[in-house]
Amino acid sequence: MKDSGETNLESQISDLRFRIPDLWLGLRAIIVKDIVVELRARQVLPTMVVLGMLIVFILRMASDSALTDTAAPVLGAAALWVAFLFSGLLAQERSFASEQQNGCIDGLLLAPLDPGTIYLAKLLANVIMLTIFEAIVVPIVIIAFDLHVAGGWFRLAAVLLLGNLGISSVGTLFSAAVQLTRTRGSLLSIVVLVILMPMMIPATFALLVLFGAMPGEAQGLASVQGTGALAFVGSFPAAVGYLLAFDAIFVVASWLLFGLIIDD
Amino acid sequence: MALNVCSITKTFVTRPVLRGIDLAVPEGQALCLCGINGAGKSTLLRIVAGLLRPDNGSVRIDGHDIRSEPEKAKRRLGMISHASMAYPELTVLENLAFAARLYGVPDRMGRIEELLTGAGLMSYRHDRAAILSRGLLQRLAIARALLHRPALLLADEPFTGLDGDSTERLITIFNRFVRDGGTILMTTHDTRLGLRCCRRVAVLDRGSLILDAMKEDVDANRFADDYLSYARGMS
Repeated sequence: MKDSGETNLESQISDLRFRIPDLWLGLRAIIVKDIVVELRARQVLPTMVVLGMLIVFILRMASDSALTDTAAPVLGAAALWVAFLFSGLLAQERSFASEQQNGCIDGLLLAPLDPGTIYLAKLLANVIMLTIFEAIVVPIVIIAFDLHVAGGWFRLAAVLLLGNLGISSVGTLFSAAVQLTRTRGSLLSIVVLVILMPMMIPATFALLVLFGAMPGEAQGLASVQGTGALAFVGSFPAAVGYLLAFDAIFVVASWLLFGLIIDD
Repeated sequence: MALNVCSITKTFVTRPVLRGIDLAVPEGQALCLCGINGAGKSTLLRIVAGLLRPDNGSVRIDGHDIRSEPEKAKRRLGMISHASMAYPELTVLENLAFAARLYGVPDRMGRIEELLTGAGLMSYRHDRAAILSRGLLQRLAIARALLHRPALLLADEPFTGLDGDSTERLITIFNRFVRDGGTILMTTHDTRLGLRCCRRVAVLDRGSLILDAMKEDVDANRFADDYLSYARGMS
Protein backbone atom coordinates (compact mmCIF):
# COMPACT_ATOMS: atom_id res chain seq x y z
CA MET A 1 0.00 0.00 0.00
CA LYS A 2 1.34 3.44 -0.94
CA ASP A 3 1.88 5.96 1.80
CA SER A 4 0.24 9.37 1.58
CA GLY A 5 3.54 11.16 0.68
CA GLU A 6 4.02 8.93 -2.35
CA THR A 7 0.40 9.44 -3.40
CA ASN A 8 0.75 13.22 -3.07
CA LEU A 9 3.90 13.19 -5.21
CA GLU A 10 2.17 11.08 -7.87
CA SER A 11 -0.77 13.46 -7.79
CA GLN A 12 1.53 16.49 -8.17
CA ILE A 13 3.40 14.85 -11.09
CA SER A 14 0.08 13.99 -12.68
CA ASP A 15 -1.14 17.58 -12.18
CA LEU A 16 2.06 18.92 -13.75
CA ARG A 17 1.65 16.60 -16.75
CA PHE A 18 -1.77 18.12 -17.38
CA ARG A 19 -0.72 21.70 -16.61
CA ILE A 20 2.11 21.95 -19.17
CA PRO A 21 -0.17 21.37 -22.21
CA ASP A 22 -2.77 23.64 -20.53
CA LEU A 23 -0.14 26.36 -20.12
CA TRP A 24 0.90 26.10 -23.77
CA LEU A 25 -2.70 25.99 -25.06
CA GLY A 26 -3.65 28.99 -22.93
CA LEU A 27 -0.56 30.95 -23.97
CA ARG A 28 -1.06 30.21 -27.65
CA ALA A 29 -4.79 31.01 -27.55
CA ILE A 30 -4.27 34.44 -25.93
CA ILE A 31 -1.28 35.41 -28.12
CA VAL A 32 -3.07 34.43 -31.36
CA LYS A 33 -6.21 36.24 -30.19
CA ASP A 34 -4.26 39.42 -29.36
CA ILE A 35 -2.51 39.41 -32.75
CA VAL A 36 -5.76 38.80 -34.67
CA VAL A 37 -7.51 41.57 -32.69
CA GLU A 38 -4.63 43.96 -33.44
CA LEU A 39 -4.54 43.06 -37.14
CA ARG A 40 -8.25 43.88 -37.37
CA ALA A 41 -8.42 46.89 -35.05
CA ARG A 42 -5.07 48.38 -36.18
CA GLN A 43 -4.95 50.43 -32.99
CA VAL A 44 -1.49 49.79 -31.60
CA LEU A 45 1.09 49.20 -34.33
CA PRO A 46 0.25 52.21 -36.55
CA THR A 47 0.36 54.50 -33.49
CA MET A 48 3.69 53.01 -32.41
CA VAL A 49 5.20 53.49 -35.87
CA VAL A 50 3.99 57.09 -36.14
CA LEU A 51 5.38 57.97 -32.69
CA GLY A 52 8.66 56.15 -33.38
CA MET A 53 9.10 57.87 -36.74
CA LEU A 54 8.38 61.23 -35.15
CA ILE A 55 11.05 60.68 -32.47
CA VAL A 56 13.63 59.57 -35.06
CA PHE A 57 12.74 62.44 -37.40
CA ILE A 58 13.04 65.10 -34.65
CA LEU A 59 16.38 63.76 -33.38
CA ARG A 60 17.77 63.48 -36.91
CA MET A 61 16.58 66.96 -37.83
CA ALA A 62 17.90 68.56 -34.62
CA SER A 63 21.31 66.93 -35.00
CA ASP A 64 21.68 67.72 -38.69
CA SER A 65 24.60 70.14 -38.39
CA ALA A 66 26.29 68.20 -35.57
CA LEU A 67 26.16 64.74 -37.19
CA THR A 68 29.84 63.83 -37.22
CA ASP A 69 31.27 60.29 -37.37
CA THR A 70 31.55 60.22 -33.58
CA ALA A 71 28.17 61.84 -32.82
CA ALA A 72 26.08 59.71 -35.23
CA PRO A 73 26.34 56.40 -33.29
CA VAL A 74 25.54 58.20 -30.01
CA LEU A 75 22.46 59.92 -31.46
CA GLY A 76 21.42 56.75 -33.31
CA ALA A 77 21.56 54.66 -30.12
CA ALA A 78 19.59 57.34 -28.24
CA ALA A 79 16.99 57.56 -31.01
CA LEU A 80 16.48 53.80 -30.97
CA TRP A 81 15.99 53.43 -27.22
CA VAL A 82 13.82 56.54 -26.88
CA ALA A 83 11.60 55.31 -29.73
CA PHE A 84 11.38 51.76 -28.31
CA LEU A 85 10.69 52.98 -24.80
CA PHE A 86 7.87 55.40 -25.59
CA SER A 87 6.28 53.39 -28.40
CA GLY A 88 6.54 50.26 -26.26
CA LEU A 89 4.77 51.93 -23.36
CA LEU A 90 2.06 53.15 -25.70
CA ALA A 91 1.46 49.59 -26.94
CA GLN A 92 1.61 48.03 -23.52
CA GLU A 93 -0.87 50.49 -22.04
CA ARG A 94 -3.37 49.18 -24.62
CA SER A 95 -2.70 45.50 -23.94
CA PHE A 96 -5.07 45.32 -20.96
CA ALA A 97 -7.25 48.27 -22.00
CA SER A 98 -8.51 46.13 -24.90
CA GLU A 99 -9.60 43.49 -22.36
CA GLN A 100 -11.81 46.02 -20.58
CA GLN A 101 -14.34 46.35 -23.41
CA ASN A 102 -17.38 44.06 -22.98
CA GLY A 103 -15.84 42.76 -19.74
CA CYS A 104 -13.47 40.48 -21.69
CA ILE A 105 -11.02 40.48 -18.78
CA ASP A 106 -13.64 38.60 -16.71
CA GLY A 107 -13.76 35.99 -19.47
CA LEU A 108 -9.99 35.52 -19.15
CA LEU A 109 -10.03 35.44 -15.36
CA LEU A 110 -12.91 32.94 -15.31
CA ALA A 111 -10.89 30.49 -17.43
CA PRO A 112 -9.06 27.71 -15.57
CA LEU A 113 -5.68 29.32 -16.18
CA ASP A 114 -2.96 30.23 -13.77
CA PRO A 115 -2.78 34.08 -13.60
CA GLY A 116 0.89 33.77 -14.56
CA THR A 117 -0.17 32.22 -17.88
CA ILE A 118 -2.27 35.28 -18.69
CA TYR A 119 0.71 37.53 -17.84
CA LEU A 120 3.14 35.48 -19.95
CA ALA A 121 0.75 35.48 -22.91
CA LYS A 122 0.27 39.25 -22.72
CA LEU A 123 4.04 39.71 -22.31
CA LEU A 124 4.81 37.58 -25.38
CA ALA A 125 2.16 39.39 -27.44
CA ASN A 126 3.77 42.70 -26.45
CA VAL A 127 7.26 41.37 -27.27
CA ILE A 128 6.02 40.30 -30.73
CA MET A 129 4.43 43.72 -31.29
CA LEU A 130 7.61 45.56 -30.25
CA THR A 131 9.76 43.21 -32.38
CA ILE A 132 7.68 44.09 -35.45
CA PHE A 133 8.10 47.76 -34.57
CA GLU A 134 11.87 47.29 -34.15
CA ALA A 135 12.09 45.55 -37.53
CA ILE A 136 10.55 48.69 -39.09
CA VAL A 137 12.43 51.34 -37.11
CA VAL A 138 15.98 49.90 -36.89
CA PRO A 139 16.74 50.02 -40.66
CA ILE A 140 15.33 53.56 -40.81
CA VAL A 141 17.54 54.74 -37.93
CA ILE A 142 20.59 53.02 -39.45
CA ILE A 143 20.02 54.78 -42.76
CA ALA A 144 19.02 58.15 -41.22
CA PHE A 145 22.08 58.33 -38.96
CA ASP A 146 24.40 56.55 -41.41
CA LEU A 147 25.34 53.93 -38.82
CA HIS A 148 27.74 51.07 -39.28
CA VAL A 149 26.91 47.99 -37.22
CA ALA A 150 30.53 47.21 -36.30
CA GLY A 151 29.53 44.64 -33.69
CA GLY A 152 27.52 42.49 -36.10
CA TRP A 153 23.83 42.13 -36.85
CA PHE A 154 23.33 39.06 -34.68
CA ARG A 155 24.62 40.83 -31.58
CA LEU A 156 22.50 43.89 -32.43
CA ALA A 157 19.37 41.71 -32.71
CA ALA A 158 20.21 40.02 -29.38
CA VAL A 159 20.64 43.36 -27.54
CA LEU A 160 17.42 44.76 -29.03
CA LEU A 161 15.53 41.62 -28.06
CA LEU A 162 16.84 41.78 -24.49
CA GLY A 163 15.85 45.46 -24.27
CA ASN A 164 12.47 44.63 -25.78
CA LEU A 165 11.88 41.90 -23.17
CA GLY A 166 12.86 44.25 -20.33
CA ILE A 167 10.57 47.06 -21.51
CA SER A 168 7.69 44.63 -22.15
CA SER A 169 8.01 42.74 -18.84
CA VAL A 170 7.66 45.91 -16.75
CA GLY A 171 5.20 47.63 -19.12
CA THR A 172 2.85 44.62 -19.22
CA LEU A 173 2.74 44.35 -15.43
CA PHE A 174 2.01 48.04 -14.94
CA SER A 175 -0.56 48.04 -17.73
CA ALA A 176 -2.41 45.35 -15.77
CA ALA A 177 -2.03 47.36 -12.57
CA VAL A 178 -3.47 50.48 -14.21
CA GLN A 179 -6.29 48.82 -16.12
CA LEU A 180 -7.38 46.20 -13.62
CA THR A 181 -7.18 48.30 -10.48
CA ARG A 182 -8.23 51.83 -9.80
CA THR A 183 -4.73 53.27 -10.27
CA ARG A 184 -4.47 56.43 -12.34
CA GLY A 185 -3.24 55.93 -15.91
CA SER A 186 -0.52 58.56 -15.74
CA LEU A 187 1.20 56.51 -13.07
CA LEU A 188 2.13 53.85 -15.62
CA SER A 189 4.62 55.94 -17.54
CA ILE A 190 6.21 57.46 -14.44
CA VAL A 191 6.73 54.20 -12.56
CA VAL A 192 7.77 52.22 -15.63
CA LEU A 193 10.32 54.82 -16.72
CA VAL A 194 11.86 54.93 -13.24
CA ILE A 195 12.06 51.12 -13.05
CA LEU A 196 13.52 50.85 -16.56
CA MET A 197 16.25 53.43 -15.94
CA PRO A 198 18.80 50.89 -14.61
CA MET A 199 18.23 48.76 -17.72
CA MET A 200 18.73 51.68 -20.08
CA ILE A 201 22.35 52.16 -18.95
CA PRO A 202 23.72 48.76 -20.12
CA ALA A 203 21.30 48.81 -23.09
CA THR A 204 22.70 52.15 -24.30
CA PHE A 205 26.27 51.01 -23.60
CA ALA A 206 25.74 47.83 -25.68
CA LEU A 207 24.38 49.80 -28.67
CA LEU A 208 27.26 52.30 -28.48
CA VAL A 209 29.72 49.39 -28.62
CA LEU A 210 27.86 47.77 -31.51
CA PHE A 211 27.80 51.06 -33.45
CA GLY A 212 31.54 51.52 -32.85
CA ALA A 213 31.28 54.57 -30.56
CA MET A 214 32.86 52.75 -27.60
CA PRO A 215 35.38 49.99 -27.10
CA GLY A 216 33.69 46.79 -26.04
CA GLU A 217 36.29 45.69 -23.51
CA ALA A 218 36.99 46.98 -20.01
CA GLN A 219 40.64 47.87 -20.66
CA GLY A 220 39.73 50.00 -23.67
CA LEU A 221 37.14 51.93 -21.71
CA ALA A 222 39.73 53.60 -19.51
CA SER A 223 40.79 55.69 -22.47
CA VAL A 224 37.23 56.90 -23.18
CA GLN A 225 36.51 60.30 -21.68
CA GLY A 226 33.17 61.51 -20.39
CA THR A 227 31.31 58.20 -20.40
CA GLY A 228 29.64 58.95 -17.03
CA ALA A 229 27.24 56.25 -15.84
CA LEU A 230 28.13 54.11 -18.83
CA ALA A 231 31.65 53.54 -17.46
CA PHE A 232 30.04 51.56 -14.65
CA VAL A 233 28.96 48.87 -17.13
CA GLY A 234 32.55 48.00 -18.03
CA SER A 235 32.34 45.85 -21.15
CA PHE A 236 29.96 44.52 -23.81
CA PRO A 237 29.65 41.07 -22.19
CA ALA A 238 28.92 42.76 -18.85
CA ALA A 239 26.25 44.92 -20.51
CA VAL A 240 24.59 41.82 -21.96
CA GLY A 241 24.88 40.17 -18.55
CA TYR A 242 23.12 43.11 -16.86
CA LEU A 243 20.35 43.01 -19.48
CA LEU A 244 19.90 39.27 -19.01
CA ALA A 245 19.78 39.69 -15.23
CA PHE A 246 17.28 42.58 -15.45
CA ASP A 247 15.03 40.58 -17.79
CA ALA A 248 15.19 37.44 -15.65
CA ILE A 249 14.41 39.37 -12.45
CA PHE A 250 11.53 41.38 -13.89
CA VAL A 251 9.92 38.58 -15.90
CA VAL A 252 9.90 36.28 -12.85
CA ALA A 253 8.89 39.02 -10.39
CA SER A 254 6.10 40.30 -12.68
CA TRP A 255 4.88 36.75 -13.31
CA LEU A 256 4.60 36.24 -9.55
CA LEU A 257 3.12 39.69 -8.82
CA PHE A 258 0.48 39.47 -11.54
CA GLY A 259 -1.62 37.09 -9.43
CA LEU A 260 -1.69 39.64 -6.61
CA ILE A 261 -2.67 42.49 -8.96
CA ILE A 262 -5.68 40.69 -10.41
CA ASP A 263 -6.75 39.30 -7.05
CA ASP A 264 -9.29 42.04 -6.39
CA MET B 1 -23.37 20.19 -2.83
CA ALA B 2 -22.74 21.82 -6.20
CA LEU B 3 -22.23 25.16 -4.46
CA ASN B 4 -21.40 25.83 -0.86
CA VAL B 5 -21.04 29.44 0.27
CA CYS B 6 -19.93 29.73 3.87
CA SER B 7 -19.94 32.91 6.02
CA ILE B 8 -19.00 35.29 3.20
CA THR B 9 -18.40 38.90 4.23
CA LYS B 10 -17.25 41.75 2.03
CA THR B 11 -16.73 45.43 2.78
CA PHE B 12 -15.95 48.11 0.19
CA VAL B 13 -13.89 50.76 1.98
CA THR B 14 -16.15 51.26 5.01
CA ARG B 15 -19.45 50.04 3.57
CA PRO B 16 -20.34 46.42 4.38
CA VAL B 17 -21.81 44.81 1.23
CA LEU B 18 -22.15 41.20 2.37
CA ARG B 19 -22.67 40.27 6.02
CA GLY B 20 -21.99 36.58 6.58
CA ILE B 21 -23.79 34.89 3.69
CA ASP B 22 -24.37 31.13 4.00
CA LEU B 23 -25.86 29.35 1.01
CA ALA B 24 -25.84 25.73 -0.16
CA VAL B 25 -27.24 24.77 -3.55
CA PRO B 26 -27.47 21.04 -4.40
CA GLU B 27 -26.88 19.59 -7.87
CA GLY B 28 -29.74 20.07 -10.31
CA GLN B 29 -31.29 23.01 -8.45
CA ALA B 30 -31.76 26.55 -9.72
CA LEU B 31 -31.77 29.35 -7.16
CA CYS B 32 -33.12 32.79 -7.97
CA LEU B 33 -31.48 35.51 -5.89
CA CYS B 34 -33.50 38.73 -5.72
CA GLY B 35 -32.65 42.06 -4.21
CA ILE B 36 -32.74 45.76 -4.98
CA ASN B 37 -29.77 47.59 -6.50
CA GLY B 38 -26.89 47.65 -4.03
CA ALA B 39 -28.17 44.64 -2.07
CA GLY B 40 -24.93 42.77 -2.85
CA LYS B 41 -26.17 40.27 -5.49
CA SER B 42 -23.50 40.94 -8.12
CA THR B 43 -20.78 41.12 -5.45
CA LEU B 44 -21.81 37.70 -4.19
CA LEU B 45 -21.77 36.26 -7.71
CA ARG B 46 -18.33 37.73 -8.41
CA ILE B 47 -17.02 36.22 -5.17
CA VAL B 48 -18.50 32.82 -6.08
CA ALA B 49 -16.84 33.11 -9.52
CA GLY B 50 -13.47 33.91 -7.95
CA LEU B 51 -13.38 37.36 -9.55
CA LEU B 52 -13.47 39.11 -6.18
CA ARG B 53 -11.79 38.16 -2.92
CA PRO B 54 -14.08 37.99 0.12
CA ASP B 55 -12.92 39.49 3.42
CA ASN B 56 -13.96 36.29 5.20
CA GLY B 57 -15.60 32.99 4.37
CA SER B 58 -15.21 30.38 1.68
CA VAL B 59 -16.82 29.22 -1.56
CA ARG B 60 -16.68 25.59 -2.70
CA ILE B 61 -17.81 24.47 -6.13
CA ASP B 62 -18.30 20.69 -6.37
CA GLY B 63 -16.11 20.45 -3.28
CA HIS B 64 -13.27 22.58 -4.70
CA ASP B 65 -12.42 25.82 -2.92
CA ILE B 66 -12.43 28.75 -5.37
CA ARG B 67 -9.44 30.37 -3.61
CA SER B 68 -7.19 27.38 -2.95
CA GLU B 69 -8.10 25.24 -6.00
CA PRO B 70 -9.17 27.91 -8.51
CA GLU B 71 -8.38 25.94 -11.67
CA LYS B 72 -10.44 22.89 -10.61
CA ALA B 73 -13.31 25.07 -9.37
CA LYS B 74 -13.33 27.26 -12.50
CA ARG B 75 -13.54 24.21 -14.81
CA ARG B 76 -16.93 23.51 -13.20
CA LEU B 77 -18.16 27.08 -13.48
CA GLY B 78 -19.82 29.10 -16.23
CA MET B 79 -20.90 32.72 -15.90
CA ILE B 80 -23.21 35.12 -17.67
CA SER B 81 -22.78 38.68 -16.49
CA HIS B 82 -23.94 42.17 -17.53
CA ALA B 83 -21.12 42.19 -20.08
CA SER B 84 -20.94 39.76 -22.99
CA MET B 85 -17.19 39.02 -22.56
CA ALA B 86 -17.01 38.97 -26.39
CA TYR B 87 -14.17 40.59 -28.33
CA PRO B 88 -15.78 43.03 -30.80
CA GLU B 89 -13.09 42.42 -33.44
CA LEU B 90 -13.64 38.63 -33.47
CA THR B 91 -16.54 36.81 -35.10
CA VAL B 92 -19.07 34.80 -33.10
CA LEU B 93 -17.28 31.60 -34.13
CA GLU B 94 -13.83 32.99 -33.25
CA ASN B 95 -15.01 34.19 -29.85
CA LEU B 96 -16.33 30.72 -29.03
CA ALA B 97 -13.24 29.01 -30.46
CA PHE B 98 -11.03 31.22 -28.28
CA ALA B 99 -13.02 30.36 -25.15
CA ALA B 100 -12.98 26.66 -26.10
CA ARG B 101 -9.17 26.76 -26.34
CA LEU B 102 -8.89 28.41 -22.92
CA TYR B 103 -10.96 25.60 -21.40
CA GLY B 104 -9.37 22.84 -23.50
CA VAL B 105 -12.81 21.71 -24.75
CA PRO B 106 -12.57 18.35 -26.57
CA ASP B 107 -14.18 18.16 -30.07
CA ARG B 108 -14.15 21.95 -30.14
CA MET B 109 -15.92 22.56 -33.43
CA GLY B 110 -18.62 19.95 -32.75
CA ARG B 111 -19.44 21.51 -29.39
CA ILE B 112 -19.43 25.04 -30.85
CA GLU B 113 -21.83 24.02 -33.63
CA GLU B 114 -24.12 22.37 -31.08
CA LEU B 115 -24.24 25.60 -29.02
CA LEU B 116 -24.59 27.88 -32.05
CA THR B 117 -27.64 25.86 -33.10
CA GLY B 118 -29.07 25.83 -29.56
CA ALA B 119 -28.62 29.58 -29.14
CA GLY B 120 -29.95 30.39 -32.62
CA LEU B 121 -26.64 31.94 -33.67
CA MET B 122 -25.74 29.65 -36.59
CA SER B 123 -26.56 32.28 -39.23
CA TYR B 124 -24.53 34.91 -37.34
CA ARG B 125 -21.42 32.76 -36.81
CA HIS B 126 -19.25 34.73 -39.26
CA ASP B 127 -20.44 38.14 -38.01
CA ARG B 128 -18.16 40.17 -35.79
CA ALA B 129 -19.38 40.66 -32.23
CA ALA B 130 -19.14 44.44 -32.75
CA ILE B 131 -22.21 44.42 -35.01
CA LEU B 132 -24.41 42.13 -32.92
CA SER B 133 -27.47 43.45 -31.08
CA ARG B 134 -27.73 43.28 -27.28
CA GLY B 135 -29.95 40.18 -27.52
CA LEU B 136 -27.56 38.35 -29.86
CA LEU B 137 -24.58 39.29 -27.68
CA GLN B 138 -26.41 37.84 -24.70
CA ARG B 139 -27.00 34.61 -26.63
CA LEU B 140 -23.29 34.53 -27.46
CA ALA B 141 -22.49 35.04 -23.75
CA ILE B 142 -24.75 32.10 -22.88
CA ALA B 143 -23.12 29.87 -25.50
CA ARG B 144 -19.71 30.87 -24.16
CA ALA B 145 -20.72 30.12 -20.57
CA LEU B 146 -22.02 26.63 -21.48
CA LEU B 147 -19.16 25.73 -23.85
CA HIS B 148 -17.16 23.64 -21.38
CA ARG B 149 -20.24 21.89 -19.91
CA PRO B 150 -20.06 23.56 -16.47
CA ALA B 151 -21.76 22.01 -13.45
CA LEU B 152 -22.66 25.43 -12.03
CA LEU B 153 -23.98 28.37 -14.01
CA LEU B 154 -23.89 31.86 -12.51
CA ALA B 155 -26.24 34.29 -14.23
CA ASP B 156 -26.20 37.96 -13.24
CA GLU B 157 -29.37 39.68 -14.50
CA PRO B 158 -29.51 37.41 -17.57
CA PHE B 159 -32.85 38.80 -18.87
CA THR B 160 -31.77 42.46 -18.99
CA GLY B 161 -32.27 43.95 -22.45
CA LEU B 162 -33.74 40.81 -24.02
CA ASP B 163 -36.87 40.81 -26.16
CA GLY B 164 -39.70 38.31 -25.63
CA ASP B 165 -38.34 35.65 -27.99
CA SER B 166 -34.83 35.83 -26.59
CA THR B 167 -36.19 35.65 -23.04
CA GLU B 168 -38.21 32.52 -23.85
CA ARG B 169 -35.17 30.96 -25.53
CA LEU B 170 -33.05 31.71 -22.48
CA ILE B 171 -35.63 30.20 -20.12
CA THR B 172 -35.68 27.06 -22.29
CA ILE B 173 -31.87 26.87 -22.17
CA PHE B 174 -31.84 27.29 -18.37
CA ASN B 175 -34.56 24.68 -17.86
CA ARG B 176 -32.74 22.21 -20.10
CA PHE B 177 -29.49 22.88 -18.23
CA VAL B 178 -31.14 22.11 -14.88
CA ARG B 179 -32.92 19.04 -16.27
CA ASP B 180 -29.52 17.70 -17.36
CA GLY B 181 -28.27 17.98 -13.76
CA GLY B 182 -26.78 21.49 -13.86
CA THR B 183 -27.04 23.99 -11.01
CA ILE B 184 -27.93 27.66 -11.45
CA LEU B 185 -27.42 30.66 -9.21
CA MET B 186 -29.23 33.54 -10.85
CA THR B 187 -29.83 37.15 -9.86
CA THR B 188 -32.76 39.04 -11.29
CA HIS B 189 -35.14 41.89 -10.61
CA ASP B 190 -37.88 40.10 -12.54
CA THR B 191 -39.04 37.54 -9.99
CA ARG B 192 -41.75 36.16 -12.32
CA LEU B 193 -39.13 35.22 -14.92
CA GLY B 194 -36.79 33.99 -12.20
CA LEU B 195 -39.43 31.68 -10.77
CA ARG B 196 -40.07 30.20 -14.23
CA CYS B 197 -36.51 28.82 -14.20
CA CYS B 198 -35.83 28.31 -10.51
CA ARG B 199 -37.22 25.97 -7.86
CA ARG B 200 -35.82 28.07 -5.06
CA VAL B 201 -35.88 31.79 -4.32
CA ALA B 202 -33.84 33.91 -1.94
CA VAL B 203 -33.91 37.63 -1.16
CA LEU B 204 -30.77 39.56 -0.33
CA ASP B 205 -31.28 42.78 1.61
CA ARG B 206 -28.37 45.07 2.53
CA GLY B 207 -25.91 42.19 2.50
CA SER B 208 -28.02 39.64 4.41
CA LEU B 209 -30.34 36.87 3.24
CA ILE B 210 -33.82 37.69 4.53
CA LEU B 211 -35.69 34.92 2.68
CA ASP B 212 -34.71 31.50 1.38
CA ALA B 213 -37.66 29.36 0.29
CA MET B 214 -38.67 26.66 -2.19
CA LYS B 215 -40.93 27.72 -5.06
CA GLU B 216 -43.75 25.42 -3.86
CA ASP B 217 -43.72 27.17 -0.50
CA VAL B 218 -44.48 30.60 -1.98
CA ASP B 219 -47.32 31.79 -4.17
CA ALA B 220 -45.41 32.91 -7.28
CA ASN B 221 -47.79 35.76 -8.21
CA ARG B 222 -48.15 37.01 -4.66
CA PHE B 223 -44.41 36.77 -4.11
CA ALA B 224 -43.77 38.85 -7.25
CA ASP B 225 -46.23 41.53 -6.11
CA ASP B 226 -44.92 41.56 -2.53
CA TYR B 227 -41.33 41.77 -3.79
CA LEU B 228 -42.24 44.68 -6.07
CA SER B 229 -43.84 46.58 -3.17
CA TYR B 230 -40.82 45.83 -0.99
CA ALA B 231 -38.39 46.98 -3.74
CA ARG B 232 -40.35 50.22 -4.25
CA GLY B 233 -40.34 50.85 -0.51
CA MET B 234 -36.60 50.32 -0.30
CA SER B 235 -35.65 52.54 -3.24
